Amino acid sequence: MSTRSELVDGAVHEDVFDRPWPDIEARQLEAARELFVERRDQIPVLRRRADDSGVTEIRTLDDLVPLLFAHTAYKSYPPSFVAQGRWDRLLQWMQTLSVAKVTDVDVEGVTDVDDWMERLRAAGHMVLATSGSGGKVSFLNHTREDAEKKRRHYRRMSGWPFVKADNSRVVFLTSPSRGPNSAIEAAQNSAAVWARPGEAHFLTDEPLRLADISASAALNQRMAEGTATPAEIEAAQAEARARGERMSAAMDVFVDKILAHRHEPIVVSALWAQHMSIIERARARGIPDGGFHPDSLVSAGGGLKGVALPADYREQVDRFYGKVIRNNAYGMTEMAQTCPKCQCGRYHRPPGLIWLLLDRDGERRLTADDGVDGVVEGRFAFLDLLYEGRWGGLISGDKVTIDFKDCPCGRPGPTILDTISRYAQAGESDHIGCAGTIDAYIRGAVAA
Amino acid sequence: MNAMTPTLAPVQRIRHVVKGVVIEGDGPEYGRDPNRFVTPPLDVGALVWPRPAPSPAADVPVDEIIDILVETGEVLKRDRSGLLAQAMERSVEAGFYPRDLVERSFAHLGHMFSRPAMEFMIAQEIGGKDLLDGWREVTTPSGRPARVRAFPCRLLHVIAGNSPGVAANTVIRGALTKGVHLLKLPSNELFSAPAILAALAEAAPGHPLTRCFSAAYWRGGDEAVEGLLFRPQYFDKIIAWGGESTIRGALKYVGPGLELVAFDPKTSISLIGREIFESEATLEAAAVAGAHDATIMNQEACTASRFQFVEGALDQVDRYCERLQAHLGAGGRSASAEPRPIPRALRDEIDGLRDMADFYRVWGGYEGRGLVVRSDEAVDFYPEGKVVNVVAVDRLADAARHVTVATQTVGVHPPERKSGLRDILASAGAQRIVSLGSATPEVGLPHDGFYPLHRFVRWVNDEG
Repeated sequence: MSTRSELVDGAVHEDVFDRPWPDIEARQLEAARELFVERRDQIPVLRRRADDSGVTEIRTLDDLVPLLFAHTAYKSYPPSFVAQGRWDRLLQWMQTLSVAKVTDVDVEGVTDVDDWMERLRAAGHMVLATSGSGGKVSFLNHTREDAEKKRRHYRRMSGWPFVKADNSRVVFLTSPSRGPNSAIEAAQNSAAVWARPGEAHFLTDEPLRLADISASAALNQRMAEGTATPAEIEAAQAEARARGERMSAAMDVFVDKILAHRHEPIVVSALWAQHMSIIERARARGIPDGGFHPDSLVSAGGGLKGVALPADYREQVDRFYGKVIRNNAYGMTEMAQTCPKCQCGRYHRPPGLIWLLLDRDGERRLTADDGVDGVVEGRFAFLDLLYEGRWGGLISGDKVTIDFKDCPCGRPGPTILDTISRYAQAGESDHIGCAGTIDAYIRGAVAA
Repeated sequence: MNAMTPTLAPVQRIRHVVKGVVIEGDGPEYGRDPNRFVTPPLDVGALVWPRPAPSPAADVPVDEIIDILVETGEVLKRDRSGLLAQAMERSVEAGFYPRDLVERSFAHLGHMFSRPAMEFMIAQEIGGKDLLDGWREVTTPSGRPARVRAFPCRLLHVIAGNSPGVAANTVIRGALTKGVHLLKLPSNELFSAPAILAALAEAAPGHPLTRCFSAAYWRGGDEAVEGLLFRPQYFDKIIAWGGESTIRGALKYVGPGLELVAFDPKTSISLIGREIFESEATLEAAAVAGAHDATIMNQEACTASRFQFVEGALDQVDRYCERLQAHLGAGGRSASAEPRPIPRALRDEIDGLRDMADFYRVWGGYEGRGLVVRSDEAVDFYPEGKVVNVVAVDRLADAARHVTVATQTVGVHPPERKSGLRDILASAGAQRIVSLGSATPEVGLPHDGFYPLHRFVRWVNDEG
């Protein structure tokens, strides 16, 4: 058994976080070394990175730094490939980031991007799409086995350290039940590990279609070029409105179901804004705060970009659900092995996930010595040792603080503090320049 | 460096100017390390001119104003008080640009107060000094006699900070049109406007013109301040430069009686014809001109070219790219040769493209000495930091579909190609067509589709 699979499989152990992993750093390094030797010749982008940076082997974790991909690598395809239906070329692009051969997938007769994803998945390439800010989605390849291991990891981590996922509950997930999207995959995993048969409730069974996202991006493009007609914009607005109404109606049904089960241990997972929408409906039905079963699991998340919420939305959500279990984990679309949060509010590291803390610019790896008393702030990056389908090394935009000492909860190993934020993007302050793009001129007609 | 106890850069002290008087003092602190700064306490009441009283400069002849402005330019050039040098040093410390570029920009400020330039502006943009100083007699076709005047206004300027020249231009335009002017300082150029207004006060101590200007910083979008100031009883127009958030912020307050004059956010591009491949010399000349236009204010300016459409076969276009990249980092009057690493997010985008050799080619690294991405369609990120996307096209006219209302300057090469393209470009939304290499703007011509002086005044008529 390779060091790598030993570490990844370590997550199935009941006491994975409770016992010390002897020589964990050395073993992670050994696994990274193994993985790089294998992937270097499989993934063209990785090989180029290695050649460019002169990394021939992984001798220390520092050698991984130039090999980390940015999340944008997974959406670096020219948008015209989708807009003009050049599916074979999109496969060529996918190949540059994949381990297995994907260029032989039959794309004859593919009509849209959902169709293209379907063909890949049918061939065993479980490509996931991201939600696609700005209309351009990322495509992340992984294998069927990767997806299974990801679910296995999720089963172990999801209720940790409070309860175990045992398919005993009624589960409420504010996502569509189907669609090739990473958020939907997460919801499906939640349903798979928590729900008893027939009791996984999604907000909607209307599948999420990437073609809708790319159509809205294409419309934005035509608006920028000035070729979109008022009728097209009106149609898009009407469609967005209709979708909004359908979702609102679905939410009414959904909330009724949640409220009906609120005195038993349930699972509710939603974005902050959706929680607020649930609360608003519950209040309209005269439901007081705090009536939920204390063994219920409630998780909240999601960015607040473009969503207007009251300043005290967190407190409101806390009050509404009352004393329930708030399970939480630190992760991202690109990461298979998430880091669950302990009773002390710190995120723990699964053995198969290599944490790399970098300086702000993402160029130098920081260690315990870069901080005071082993507590160091920096940019989060990682190598996820789980993936067979793609390279698992990624640099994030997250600013995290890592405590390299043992956790106050008594468990060994480093932890991430509950202070995760984003490195500020340029232009977020009120620096004013006269240069800008057409985006400012286009009102998002189809932003629903 | 110790990540837990970062060394704190010194806090900058910002000056305000209230009706010609320089205000100092420690009030609120803004910004994040290393760009933290303290402003004097803000007295919102002192920043407005009571409406019943006319502008202090309303009756000052424009020739006298021009004399004062020319003298202001001389004060800036001499800088005996050292205020401009100090403003420059602070601007260097703020670190948005390399020292040499800041030095050249500040050294240029005094020269902007040029008599011929101001005379030309008034002639072009207003139509004569008589319209500023009094009422011009006209007779309508029906025989009605009328008198028209370019009347002073109350203007609130939300200026851009990507060049100190914006503050100088605002003071010149504001003075020539005789209104009252509050300049809202941008956090990326907090020093030039107070220094220029101090020079104005030195050029004409106690003169009514100096009392026409105030400059202050508050956080852009701060409703406590803007909700009070952005009102028709205090100002006639908001002159807003730049970024989407500025314009959207100002729009909230615009309504009857309060007009928005927007120098909207813009992108500039270049169109380069196949003629450049005639000889090595023509190719080199095009690359030099293309690099000049791309690096105006280190590519921070709206006039700086970001996308260059080149007509030719791919191997030809690649030759242009190679030469362009070689010149992008060279520096010049409006660009610094000092490399500044390309922003991280942009590097990530370009990294993704490097891996797609079939579709993109990249010249140059991320250290800030110039980088060119060649593609067959425009990239979907925003090039900055001396980064140019060269797009290969069959015909220059094909590039017109990339021209929108957000396209400001289109540099064309060779210049003979302009006349065949300018109507298509203008129709698509472009505002300024120039010969490649001439994208640096001059005053007295339309800017963003209008004559600024013409909109800095209110046109009033006395009929019958």
